[in-house]
Amino acid sequence: MKREISMIVLSIVVIFGIVLWFSSVSRPIGIGDIILYGCISILVIFALVVAFNRIKAIKAGLPAEDELSTKIKQKAAAWSYYVSLYWWLVIMYFSDKFKLEMNALIGVGLIGMAVLFGIFWAYFNFKGKFNE
Amino acid sequence: MNNRIKELRARYNLTQEDLAKKVGVRRETIVFLEQGKYNPSLKLAYDIAKEFKTTIEDVFYSENKL
Repeated sequence: MKREISMIVLSIVVIFGIVLWFSSVSRPIGIGDIILYGCISILVIFALVVAFNRIKAIKAGLPAEDELSTKIKQKAAAWSYYVSLYWWLVIMYFSDKFKLEMNALIGVGLIGMAVLFGIFWAYFNFKGKFNE
Repeated sequence: MNNRIKELRARYNLTQEDLAKKVGVRRETIVFLEQGKYNPSLKLAYDIAKEFKTTIEDVFYSENKL
């Protein structure tokens, strides 16, 4: 339960930080900012959904994690690592064209990796087959 | 691998959640098992068979029979 509560608290802190940033920024908010913080928000919502589902399972007397959920996580991590290698190549290719700062490039790369993990986790959780 | 988990659950009047609680897994794992999307570990297969008071071979079977 501690892990789930930590996830919820961390997600709330991140959401609060994003809201605070949007309310305090003096320069015009560009499309890049919207995409970046939109992706972060999606990841935070994903974390909140996972945390609440785990709490619901624990309260129902079921384990939050078992052999299948661990297998799904491992398979999603493996696939997202493999695809993220190509993601970084794409970022490097387009880095000259978009002329982004190094911090922004790294941020895009990291968020892309996290989004990839979320996509693969969702795919394996709903459609995956583990009977090979 | 195929299995008779759904049939045995009905015989013993257990929901997916009931069975999940008894064998210590999430309800989604039972769903995946019944849909044939997941082959359980030996321990889980044993626990499920024990819950239905039968053998592993009686619960799980392969389509490819010699």
